[in-house]
Amino acid sequence: MTTSNNKKSYRGLFLTWAILTIAGALVGIFGPSRLMPRSMSDNMHLTILTMVVFTVAAAPVAAGVYASALYALRHWAHKGSEVPPSGPAVRENAMFVTTWLIVSTLLTVFLLIWGLGALAVDNSSTGKNPLVVDVTGQQWVWSFSYPGTHVSSPQLYLPDNREVEFRVTSKDVTHGFWIVNMGIQVDANVGVITTIHTTPDKLGLFNIRCEQFCGLNHAFMVTVGHVLTPSQFASWLSSQPQQA
Amino acid sequence: MTTTLEHTKTASIPQGGGLARRQNFLTGLIGGAIFAWLFWFLAHHFLDATSRTWSDEVAASVTLGWIIGFWLGIGALNAPGRWLIGKNNTRADDLYLAGQGQGKSRYWKFTTDHKVVGVQYIIMTMVLLGSGGILAMAIRTELIVPGNHFVNQQVYNGFIAVHGMLMILALIVAVAGPWGNFVMPIMCGARDMAFPRLNALSLWTLVGAAALLLTTLAVGSLTMGWVVLEPIANQAGVGMDFFAMAIIVFTVSTTVAGVNTICTVLTMRTKGMTLSRLPIFVWGAIIAAALGLYAFPYFSLVEAMTLMDRTFSTSFFVANAGGEGWLQANLFWLMGHPEVYVILLPAVAALFEIAAVMSRKPVFSYRTAVAGMTGLAGLSILVWAHHMFTTGWAPTLGGPFMLTTELISIPTGLFFLVLIGTLWRGNIWMKLPTVWMFGFIANFIIAGVTGIYLSDIPLDDQLHGTMFVTAHFHYVFVGSVLFGAVAALAFWFPKVTGRYLNEFLGRISFWLVFIGVQVTFLAMFASGLKGMPRRYSSYALIFEHTNFITTIGAYIIMAGMLVLLGAVITSWNKGEPSGPNPWHANSLEWLVPTPPPLENFDVLPVITEDPYNYGEELVRS
Repeated sequence: MTTSNNKKSYRGLFLTWAILTIAGALVGIFGPSRLMPRSMSDNMHLTILTMVVFTVAAAPVAAGVYASALYALRHWAHKGSEVPPSGPAVRENAMFVTTWLIVSTLLTVFLLIWGLGALAVDNSSTGKNPLVVDVTGQQWVWSFSYPGTHVSSPQLYLPDNREVEFRVTSKDVTHGFWIVNMGIQVDANVGVITTIHTTPDKLGLFNIRCEQFCGLNHAFMVTVGHVLTPSQFASWLSSQPQQA
Repeated sequence: MTTTLEHTKTASIPQGGGLARRQNFLTGLIGGAIFAWLFWFLAHHFLDATSRTWSDEVAASVTLGWIIGFWLGIGALNAPGRWLIGKNNTRADDLYLAGQGQGKSRYWKFTTDHKVVGVQYIIMTMVLLGSGGILAMAIRTELIVPGNHFVNQQVYNGFIAVHGMLMILALIVAVAGPWGNFVMPIMCGARDMAFPRLNALSLWTLVGAAALLLTTLAVGSLTMGWVVLEPIANQAGVGMDFFAMAIIVFTVSTTVAGVNTICTVLTMRTKGMTLSRLPIFVWGAIIAAALGLYAFPYFSLVEAMTLMDRTFSTSFFVANAGGEGWLQANLFWLMGHPEVYVILLPAVAALFEIAAVMSRKPVFSYRTAVAGMTGLAGLSILVWAHHMFTTGWAPTLGGPFMLTTELISIPTGLFFLVLIGTLWRGNIWMKLPTVWMFGFIANFIIAGVTGIYLSDIPLDDQLHGTMFVTAHFHYVFVGSVLFGAVAALAFWFPKVTGRYLNEFLGRISFWLVFIGVQVTFLAMFASGLKGMPRRYSSYALIFEHTNFITTIGAYIIMAGMLVLLGAVITSWNKGEPSGPNPWHANSLEWLVPTPPPLENFDVLPVITEDPYNYGEELVRS
């Protein structure tokens, strides 16, 4: 191959890479919000945003590998039963290896900074008068009670725009408490109370599923929740029968 | 060289030796059955005469009896037994044990020749993949539409546990078993493994473990997933005792095999085979073996604790008696994450080997390849709690475990560097192994990228426990490891049989499995993103379409795997003859005759350079 040919064909490599990167980035930008459930809390907004950012960041890397593999197939593939002649005896390329290491380390550091930052936001509690909800799992139902009120319900009712602290436990085996639309999960363990926080910010219905395998009817350990306005929530709470 | 071969073939079968020389798989089964019954009788009589006939204590005893009887029946303990009574094996005894002059019957015996063990591992891998695959098809058939239609939930839960464990066993041995035994000692320039009898023991112990695992479905309910979740495993039936004992027996097999691999590489290399001249596959095999030696003790430990909770009334994992499910999760994942790399590294190393030979170039940046594999193995022991981000155990450790987990992408990236670097500007010979290698590259990048999402805790708080995780690790195991394993099979098949693996059928199989993997697992990612938890026997209507697509994709994979099975069966005896070195490679396994004679070499070779001197002949002359 002459040098000009080489340059021309490397342009093909770059084009393939650019097209694949753009395709990957588009999937990353538009895919998550279309596929993932309706976002109803600050945590879920952050989850979807992280999904978008990571996909866009990964797109050029994955596209680089695909473009190189396709390029190798297109230009250097030998068919037939005869063994091809030896290729160039290149054993090392310090420049290439160093660049690769630096780029992959930088990408990893970016992921880490983003991840640790998001984690700090995700786990933080505003500490402003959170609503406490006791969550109890047992095979194969959830029950929710509101401390200080003697109210217990098989469906979860939450007020809008107020932080909620879930105190989660289990009566029999480990269950997984997951509010699908709010991007929060924690296991319900026997004899232990685990806590998670979130702040609902959209009114409406949401799904709760068990995400830890819990036996025969694991697939049916589902329930729904409702985000209400604070006044609706107060009237719902006072209308409930008080349990001993 | 050919004279050695004929000598082996025509050597008269040694006479005498009595019963011990007639032991085989069948007498192993008989021995196992007799001892299982004996242990059942004793356990039932002494431990349990008044209660149920089939308690946990009795079940555990039966499994112990089975494996002891199987070992005795197949003759695994003959040589140590003879040593105890002062009758060491003679050279003739050892040659007989290595299968000299016994034709095909040696494949059904406790045979010590590493090449026989390698072929037995090929068959075991196919048996395990086949049985796990049948369960996978049953699971996908149940999930083709919402609701429970084909298998009841109890049986379904057993299927997911046994499918998972069978496939893990299959993939742990898929590359390291056949090729770590068949070609690895020849690559090092050794006449056999360091401990040939232990080698046979590891294989037949795996057979014993697989038999236990396959019977679990018949003896009792399994409601705990393949990870043996606690405390729910305490609710499982006696099948759980078989399951735990199968794992304990399996870890004996991997420990023995791992020690043997490490000792072989460290002590049996021929003159001049320095560590930096080792074929790269040998590095993969020894690093994976060392990692396995670290990881698998946790596996037997955690299953032994589960068994003790069930039989001795201990309460390691019983919460209302002071135990803790998190302890089980920690111990399990201390094994569980390194195990992923025990599975992955031999496949990756085999692909490095294939990339170099097929593109007619040296392995690009050999030292980076070794460093990448070592780094990955080292990091993998520090990441286990990323499986527990959402369990509530030690939330403050989330950050550190996120750090170690994301660092994994650096050595993983080096694998792509080595593969792409080796292919770059090569003359890539597009034969069957090469085709499957490109499939690996395409799938492994998806596996890697989706792993990054799961390592991020805010994202994991949404995706953990969903079909997204299932799709991710199936891209690792099916999309990547299986592709590497088939590439390795196609590459070394001519050395085992003297024939090529059928190129045409192999390519049909490749396209079916490759397309099947994308259809199955991309749709499964969508199910997970939409919010479908894993291990569901039924699901809501919003998951209908993606599950239907996944099931269709799974059938396509099945079709591809059946074509591959057909290719292996038809090529084994009737394939196109390949000669001893079909790929014109330079490592030692290609320089001995095909099939390699007993003890491999007439005279041990002396090594002066590594096997990757493609294109360097001209420079030197």
